[in-house]
Amino acid sequence: MKRFFKFAAIAAGIAVLLAVGGTYGASYYYTSQYGQGCASCHEMATCVSVVHSAPHRTVGCMECHEASLATKLRHMRIHIFGTIPENIRLRDVDVPAIAENCKTCHQHEYASWHAGPHSVTYSQVFADPVHNSKRMLMDDCLRCHGMYFSGSIRDLVKPLNTKGPWRIIRSGFADQAAMPCMACHQIHREGTQETKAASRISVAGAAVPESLAFYDRRETLHFAAATLSIPQLHDGARAVTISQDPRQALCYQCHAPRDPETGSVAAANAWGPQVGSGDDRTPMGVHEGISCVSCHDGHNENTRASCKTCHPQMSHCGIDVERMDTTYASASSLHNIHWVKCADCHQHGIPKPKTPAAVKAKLRTTPGMNG
Amino acid sequence: MPSSKKPKRMTRRQFVAAGTMGCAALAVGCKEGNHGNWDFLNDAQARTLTAICDQIVPEDDFPSASQAGVLTYIDKQLARHYRRHRDIYRDGLAQAGAMSRERFGQEPAALAAPQMAELTSAIEKQNRKFFDLVRSHTFEGYYGAPRHGGNRNAVSWRMLGMAEPPVNGRAQYDLRKGSA
Ligand code: HEC
Ligand code: HEC
Ligand code: HEC
Ligand code: HEC
Ligand code: HEC
Ligand code: HEC
Ligand code: HEC
Repeated sequence: MKRFFKFAAIAAGIAVLLAVGGTYGASYYYTSQYGQGCASCHEMATCVSVVHSAPHRTVGCMECHEASLATKLRHMRIHIFGTIPENIRLRDVDVPAIAENCKTCHQHEYASWHAGPHSVTYSQVFADPVHNSKRMLMDDCLRCHGMYFSGSIRDLVKPLNTKGPWRIIRSGFADQAAMPCMACHQIHREGTQETKAASRISVAGAAVPESLAFYDRRETLHFAAATLSIPQLHDGARAVTISQDPRQALCYQCHAPRDPETGSVAAANAWGPQVGSGDDRTPMGVHEGISCVSCHDGHNENTRASCKTCHPQMSHCGIDVERMDTTYASASSLHNIHWVKCADCHQHGIPKPKTPAAVKAKLRTTPGMNG
Repeated sequence: MPSSKKPKRMTRRQFVAAGTMGCAALAVGCKEGNHGNWDFLNDAQARTLTAICDQIVPEDDFPSASQAGVLTYIDKQLARHYRRHRDIYRDGLAQAGAMSRERFGQEPAALAAPQMAELTSAIEKQNRKFFDLVRSHTFEGYYGAPRHGGNRNAVSWRMLGMAEPPVNGRAQYDLRKGSA
């Protein structure tokens, strides 16, 4: 009997020791120097070595990733007993915490992203009465608007009809950003430290930040901007000149044109996808051939500050373009900055341009302006 | 000391030792020797397999098999859906190594291109089963969906002229009709 108690006491002691040791061990993994601890689980090795050759090599795993004790123990359990999935991916519930952590170090980018259009929340996109009463919600919406959401549209919004009222049913998601930093940036990748953006804004060259990549939810992978395609678009029958700046290939994934509707003039004549179809905003007219990113500078996608990089040097008209009306959103406006042509304003004949054609041609083949 | 007590004391000691080891394993992690970043292959096997796969799809204007992630594909599958092929790979790779050392006095990964080509056709003749498997798996990895580890950045699809992911707008009102 005495022996039994002694045995039981030791067993209990060891159980406590194991619990403490295991918990401590689990925590220790995560916080040790730049993820060396994480790497001791062999399934994490690739992840760690990739981070170590990337620009974030000096950032510890836990400065981006948050892991509660429960998460750590879950990882531990899967590591020891479970089947490791073919692709280890973040769970969608873990994404917001990471996106929030980017702010600590990238305050400037975060603030301007936050102020701009790409920080919209799930409820702003998916519970918008104006939009939803015109268009049915469907899984395809998630491709551009909820790439990190792992379920289908029916797990996210209710009801799936054009009557509403709509609400986000997945708890905790309504106010989360639907297009976080990682929608456009690949963090876990091999690559060298890059020069700061300021040195790239020169017309001397449009180096593509290596991090730029589109997150494809179907493949659950990033595709590097330089490997994405830039469509060939038409204005009627005319093939429009489009900048080959690889950075804007990223924009085209979401701000995408569509094939001509069946029955349309363009379809009947087999003209190919038209400028302005779908969400396309390819510039024509005075700014044809200029990259999105030449004007939409920075994460708030504001354009006003960009005008002065080219104007008034490249102006013909002596108008203050920085203050002009650029109501591009309305296709019927003559001032639609994406499509305005000389003839829209000069309806009785275009005065002879001051910028010689040669200068214009040079501008359009200069990397940075024209990729 | 009565001998009858001995096993019990040992049991307790073993028990404690096992407990301590459990903790230690948890704290240190159960690192597996020479596995590098692979799930199934070891580094030497991976080098040999790289050399063979790159004979099947060599680098030209587009990446070679290994550059496109074929090794990652095969390795992941051998650890999962293709467990049944493990022995063929293990033996085939060992045989390839042996043949290479015997003929050229070097590991396959160190061979010059013409020697490697010679070795590859020799493997094809001597171990058809292994070679056929590697060839089909190389094609699967090179042309299959990137999510399975191969076809990095969908490179083979681009080679075939397919944009991935495709540029494909949502159905929407036409802006030029002015309905926005
Ligand atoms: C600079 C921030 C940052 C750091 C540092 C970082 N991660 Fe990540 N990690 C991310 C982001 C963002 C994702 C989301 C994946 C994605 O879609 O790119 C991610 C995803 C992951 C995933 C899921 C697999 C994948 O590739 O999506 C794992 C596993 C992971 N990280 C482990 C680690 C480990 C281990 C370390 C330390 C060596 C680490 N991370 C360091 C930001 C970071
Ligand atoms: C602990 C600080 C820290 C955190 C947290 C952090 N970063 Fe960084 N980030 C850096 C440093 C340092 C660099 C490299 C220095 C440089 O080039 O400016 C960098 C570089 C970058 C770059 C440019 C280099 C590249 O990869 O192309 C991007 C993009 C970036 N970070 C995005 C993110 C995102 C997205 C997150 C959140 C998931 C994040 N960072 C979290 C410190 C951090
Ligand atoms: C091909 C990518 C893509 C798909 C698919 C897509 N959208 Fe969008 N969506 C965009 C872009 C780009 C904008 C911004 C348009 C602009 O302002 O020029 C946008 C804007 C919106 C807006 C803001 C208001 C508006 O109408 O401009 C809402 C709401 C919205 N989308 C909901 C949806 C829903 C719901 C679906 C599914 C039926 C969907 N989107 C499918 C790319 C997409
Ligand atoms: C809609 C796509 C998009 C989103 C979302 C986005 N970025 Fe960016 N980011 C870009 C583009 C495009 C550039 C390159 C601009 C250029 O080269 O002029 C860039 C550049 C950067 C750079 C500089 C890269 C370098 O190599 O110097 C950092 C850092 C960065 N982004 C961080 C962030 C952070 C942090 C977030 C989230 C708060 C974020 N980005 C969200 C598109 C995006
Ligand atoms: C992941 C998909 C996605 C990518 C990539 C993307 N956008 Fe957007 N963008 C959107 C959506 C969605 C909106 C509309 C948000 C809203 O208001 O609901 C938007 C809105 C905008 C707006 C505001 C439009 C308006 O009507 O006010 C601008 C400008 C813009 N994007 C520019 C860019 C540029 C430039 C790039 C490339 C660097 C880019 N976007 C890449 C999805 C994307
Ligand atoms: C990357 C350079 C660049 C940027 C940035 C730019 N423009 Fe221009 N813009 C041009 C060029 C080049 C022309 C002349 C085209 C021609 O001669 O065919 C032009 C012509 C114009 C014209 C026709 C009248 C004139 O004076 O020639 C207007 C209006 C205009 N731009 C407005 C703007 C506004 C508003 C902005 C800022 C939102 C802006 N531009 C930003 C390059 C740029
Ligand atoms: C947004 C409207 C707008 C667009 C677009 C525009 N202009 Fe002008 N342009 C003006 C205005 C307003 C004036 C000033 C007229 C005046 O002072 O009487 C002007 C004046 C000029 C002048 C000077 C005429 C003179 O007699 O001094 C030239 C040259 C000119 N434009 C050429 C062009 C060319 C070439 C384009 C296309 C690349 C263009 N404009 C596009 C509005 C525009």
